[in-house]
Amino acid sequence: MSYRVREIALAVTIAALMLLLAWRTTGFFTATNLVDLFLANLPTMMIAIGMTMVILTGEIDISVGSIFAICSVVMGECARAGLPMVVSVLIASVAGALMGAANGGLTAYIRIPSIVATLATMVALRDGLRWYTQGAWIQGLPQQFQWFGLSQSSFTELCLAVVTVTVLLGAAGLKHLRIGREIIATGSNKAAAHIAGIHTSRVVFGVFALTGVLTGLAAALNAVRFNQVPSNSGLGLELKVIAAVAVGGAAITGGAATITGTVLGVILLSGIGSALTFLGINAYWEKAIQGAIILIAVAVDALQFYRRDDAHTLAA
Amino acid sequence: MPMNPILSATGITKSFAGIQALKGVSFELREGEVHALIGENGAGKSTFTKIVTGALQPDSGELVVHGQRVANFSPQAARSLGIAAIHQQPLLFPHLTVAENIALALENGASGWRVDWKRRHGQARELLHRVGVDLDPKRIAGSLSMAEQQIVEIAKAIGADAKILLMDEPTALLTDREVDHLFSLIRQFRQSGVGIVYISHRLEEIQAIADRITVLRDGNTIACREAAGIDRGGMIQLMVGRSLASIFPKHTVAMGATALEVCNLSNSSLGLHDISFSVKKGEILGMAGLVGSGRTELAKTLFGLSPAACPIYLHGSPVQIHSPAHAISLGIGYLPEDRRQHGLILDMDLGENMSMASLDSVCRLGLVHREKEASQGERYIRDLRIKAAGASVAARTLSGGNQQKVALARWLAIDPQIMILDEPTQGVDVGSKSEIHELIGQMAERGVAIILISSELPEILGMCDRIAVFRKKTIAGILQREEATQARIMALAFGHPDALAQETVQA
Amino acid sequence: MHTHLRPKFRLSGIQWALLGALLVEIIVFGVSSPAFLTWTNGMEILRFSVELGLLVVALTPILITGGIDLSVGSTIGLVAVTFGLAWQNLHLSIPAAAALALLVALLCGVVNAALIASLNLPALIITLGTYSLYRGVAEGVTHAAVSVTGYPESFLRLGQGYLWSVPIQVFVFLLFIAFYAVLLHWSKVGRGLYAIGLNAEGARYAGLPVRRYLALVYLLSGVVSGVAAIIYVAHLGLAKSDLGTGFELQAITAIVIGGTSVFGGRGDLFGSVLGLLFLCVLQNGLHLLAQPSEATGVLTGALLILVVASDLLTERMQAMRQRWARWRRPLLIAGAAGAAVVAIAIAFTLRSSRANAGLAEHRPVIAVMPKAKGDPYFISARAGAEEAARQLGVDLIWDGPTSLDPSMQNELVESWITRHVDAIVVAVANKGSISTVLRKARQHHIPVLTWDADAEPDGRDYFLNQATPQAIADTLADEGARLLNGKGDFAIITGPLSAENQNEWISFIRQRVAERYPQMKLVTVLPSDDDRDKAFSQTQNILKVYPDVKLIIAISAPAVPGAAEAVQQARSKVNVIGLSLPTICRPYIHSGVVQTIVLWNTRDLGYLTVYAGWLASQGKIPPNATSINAGRLGELDVRGSEIILGKPMLINKANIDKLDF
Repeated sequence: MSYRVREIALAVTIAALMLLLAWRTTGFFTATNLVDLFLANLPTMMIAIGMTMVILTGEIDISVGSIFAICSVVMGECARAGLPMVVSVLIASVAGALMGAANGGLTAYIRIPSIVATLATMVALRDGLRWYTQGAWIQGLPQQFQWFGLSQSSFTELCLAVVTVTVLLGAAGLKHLRIGREIIATGSNKAAAHIAGIHTSRVVFGVFALTGVLTGLAAALNAVRFNQVPSNSGLGLELKVIAAVAVGGAAITGGAATITGTVLGVILLSGIGSALTFLGINAYWEKAIQGAIILIAVAVDALQFYRRDDAHTLAA
Repeated sequence: MPMNPILSATGITKSFAGIQALKGVSFELREGEVHALIGENGAGKSTFTKIVTGALQPDSGELVVHGQRVANFSPQAARSLGIAAIHQQPLLFPHLTVAENIALALENGASGWRVDWKRRHGQARELLHRVGVDLDPKRIAGSLSMAEQQIVEIAKAIGADAKILLMDEPTALLTDREVDHLFSLIRQFRQSGVGIVYISHRLEEIQAIADRITVLRDGNTIACREAAGIDRGGMIQLMVGRSLASIFPKHTVAMGATALEVCNLSNSSLGLHDISFSVKKGEILGMAGLVGSGRTELAKTLFGLSPAACPIYLHGSPVQIHSPAHAISLGIGYLPEDRRQHGLILDMDLGENMSMASLDSVCRLGLVHREKEASQGERYIRDLRIKAAGASVAARTLSGGNQQKVALARWLAIDPQIMILDEPTQGVDVGSKSEIHELIGQMAERGVAIILISSELPEILGMCDRIAVFRKKTIAGILQREEATQARIMALAFGHPDALAQETVQA
Repeated sequence: MHTHLRPKFRLSGIQWALLGALLVEIIVFGVSSPAFLTWTNGMEILRFSVELGLLVVALTPILITGGIDLSVGSTIGLVAVTFGLAWQNLHLSIPAAAALALLVALLCGVVNAALIASLNLPALIITLGTYSLYRGVAEGVTHAAVSVTGYPESFLRLGQGYLWSVPIQVFVFLLFIAFYAVLLHWSKVGRGLYAIGLNAEGARYAGLPVRRYLALVYLLSGVVSGVAAIIYVAHLGLAKSDLGTGFELQAITAIVIGGTSVFGGRGDLFGSVLGLLFLCVLQNGLHLLAQPSEATGVLTGALLILVVASDLLTERMQAMRQRWARWRRPLLIAGAAGAAVVAIAIAFTLRSSRANAGLAEHRPVIAVMPKAKGDPYFISARAGAEEAARQLGVDLIWDGPTSLDPSMQNELVESWITRHVDAIVVAVANKGSISTVLRKARQHHIPVLTWDADAEPDGRDYFLNQATPQAIADTLADEGARLLNGKGDFAIITGPLSAENQNEWISFIRQRVAERYPQMKLVTVLPSDDDRDKAFSQTQNILKVYPDVKLIIAISAPAVPGAAEAVQQARSKVNVIGLSLPTICRPYIHSGVVQTIVLWNTRDLGYLTVYAGWLASQGKIPPNATSINAGRLGELDVRGSEIILGKPMLINKANIDKLDF
């Protein structure tokens, strides 16, 4: 499988980066730092799993940042209202699911191109949230909000478990569940999928809703790292997530992406930011380096034999 | 052998956007029968196939399967009734493996939420073995060659345990050995009571395998005969409806100097090798051969869509053609095989389509002169007798024949010196067909060197001065007009020396 | 079906509807807001639409080919910065600097063109990469902080001047519209672009030079973004790396609303310009009606969906029922007329209700602008402002930018000038760019005050000084020194790298430390982008990379709790001080992680904005006043043109519980 080429290339790049860090810095490879990095990039990782599936079907979702912000606020409001933490997490996830479902409905059933539909929801949701909160933070949260009332390390373990399960379920689902295969088939050749009896509309709707749920869950987990909830989190999150999935080898036209690639992409792009600080390189260059990575990753694609346009003769 | 009909179609009609593809087709398939469906290109065979497999709904008519009348037939319903099809164009998922492609076609909505990879791989291996091919089921479909893709399609159909199997040009891309094996599979199916609809242009194949033959012409069922009781000449007569001579009036043209010459041409990316031929001004060189034998590949090479390894000689001088624009500037035109995708831009209007290869001639200072373009369009509409309301209707609204005329007009507008025509009358009604032939003849009279690629042997035999027969991406032989017969062409195309000895067609 | 303009204009259904909606908009705003239908306001709408409009015009052909270019906004930032630095640091003349800048713009276009047209890579991802890369280079080169101002008058005229009462850049815009109209709708290249969008393979088979045409449009897009950048700099009088943020999505929104399909092959320039006008008028009108900026966003999103959905719907209807197609246009016109009637009715109701609310008496309107709406610091100020407004019986407009882009503050002030509010009180984000428009306000006899951060002195009547930047910096430095006993390493966490007054404080801190505490060393300055979570991770990084740091000064309100949380979770002994609000720092002050925060009563400050604004509008501040009576704040000192609120306050365990802002 040619995906392996991309994944290997990524793994090598990450290894090279780590070697550089190990050689030139101290403190990067401590447990605390790695844990901190993990928690800080948990949202990116969780949402990227969903985004991988969206991109597999040949669509895109640029509204995840706005959904994240709203779900964070929902989480805070529920907790402030005195609801038990589990219920709050559930409600936040459901809120994410609903917004994801809206995206899915617009794309799959009303047939608005996903880039336009999610552009519209991105803007409307974020501004709507700002209108509602007027910028105020959510404060006065109960004691057991932070870390669900657990100790810091237990919370970290919980998050690790959640992320691991999500990643594994995502990878396994795509490989071993019928619905997973349908996702890939839909993006690979929608016409053939239709003929094979796959309900492509339902599949597309489903991946958007799933991404919404993951976003909501990620928002909840992220919110409880602190004791207050700001009202404008997740700025630029969609860019991070899409970049990670693209760097991970996904074809934007659909049908080609792997969870492994995405995970490696998230690790590489998230690691860069922190690596810069540790290496003493100015923070100002972070965006430039991330942009360059995206370009290189995709340009390398051009060398990949398999994904040339000739493959489209199959679908004709 | 039992004689019960398992599929019976009566009075099927179907039209698309005002074009009537099927005017009243009747067809009956018995259990354990191989029933061939033949007809010219555009006679309606593919449309009928799609209706039987549930991909299209007929406008009227009755379809009875296993004694039950069916209405609102969906592909899933067709599958559940045991109908499977092997299409001309493989419809695979390029990113998935062979095994999964087969599985998705067969699993169809059933069997739970978990995927059993072991079963899938085993199933694929077994089916491929039955087809008699050594293909790794783990290969990604996107990396398969066209022939390999078709094999996967065959495997899908076999696995579907069909009771009714439709095969549309199944041997187009197969080697002789693979064809033999396929035929023995077909005989096995027949033995076990499966009814097979066999669609093909290859008349000797049909003679070899079919029990009955139904002939379609212009969307109508013309005849249904026992295979034993009709020979190829009779088949052609029924398909065409008139004697050959009257359809393809051949102009006698004085030929000029060599316009195009090709010496040991090869194109590694398309698989072409050792191609040599020449075309004189005013000459019509036909190119015959099975689908995939390299004719369109050659056309693409000549037209600059794919680079050749060595130069082509235009009027004696060597040139390397590196793009279609370059080819056009050298006076080469190419009417592509796929009219809807490549020959026209369907959503643009007629004037725009016709001027597209010669924009500079309707431009002033780089700006498009609309009136000039429109009047040019009107002129062609008149001269070519294109049935359209005017030059500003969208190309999509025209019938196949008229669309082809528009596509041809595009090339007439560049006043080419060399014209490559790839299946110019495929999917075109008979009236337009003869008009197009007339236009081709006129071009030859004007001194254009013409390459005519066609799968319709009568057309090639009728129109061409010489015929180059392709086989396996190279030229197997070039026949002069006088010595060319369908049998000889087929012999070269198949590489069967025995075929030369067989009975020839009454022309 | 026709894909583009013919010599006689033929509008698609969507464009008719858009035209109708635009008219409705104009009527509604015109009726409910008297200042809307004036020449000046119209010209200002045009002026503000030029930079975005240039992008709209350059992106339309790209979308028509079925592609996309997300990097145009970032190109603006990079080119602006190149221009500014070339002029300021390399001492090139303005034309030479412009030429260099346009060269960079061309380069940006070349990169996109090479990757997309030649290598055939997907435009969405490539331009996502260049979106990041170009902005990143702009930030890297300027350290995101540098902001070049002080351009000569002659240059600024390009962006701020008039020619025959029309803003000069509008002429440039018209030129480009004409160029693109010819290119897209009359030239053979344009014909080719539509063909590529409809069927790229088919275009190739017809001998059209597909790659060349695609390369051309992406190249041009870079160049046009460059032109937009230079005009923008002239417009704001400012060159900074964050110029153009968010423009690409706005441009695409306008283009899609105007009827262009993202799949390609369909759409035209007229529709795009209509879409642009529609959105600009919407924003302007809402501002004039004192509706918050968020309304624009929500409405735009809803509109985008409505437009595309209805377009698809009518297409499907047309495909299914030929006879309905005949009725489409009359129905649309009828629908538009009906909507117009409804809108007029609403407008009149709005207007009369506003009149009633004012008891037929003209209530003074005080317009106050925070630096950013999402910052808790400004939210607490708002509470005070509303209090003063209630007390004085005046109308308060509280609105501010929702994005980083500096032009938003200007645009808002412009609309306030048009409305002729009674006083404008602005917390300045970009001194250089805002001063121009503030001076204009003063010319219109609207009293202008600044608060939190000052503009240029001739741009405002008074500055509400809660503390000078120097005083703030000194207090922080002194407090830090106190905690460190005068020696040790420390770090600073700031807001966005480009925030002007934070950068001012940083330089004053450096100065103070150099003068008085030579044994203290500033090891790093990291940005938090006013994001609490980011301040958290940055602090974690500091604790690991610079283990000798003993003190962190966080000078952005959301950053203090973020930094404190990181220190607390790491169980570190590092001190955290900064500038923030008591309410969000309370738990950390109680736990001792944060020793002190420096602030002033933000609610009082907010109160003062309205009160002082009101006093100024009523002419109640005599020219040489040395003090004013500020309501419940009592007597406040006036020094020159500065009204002093008080000294910065040190908030710590002792007094935090008494404060509730």
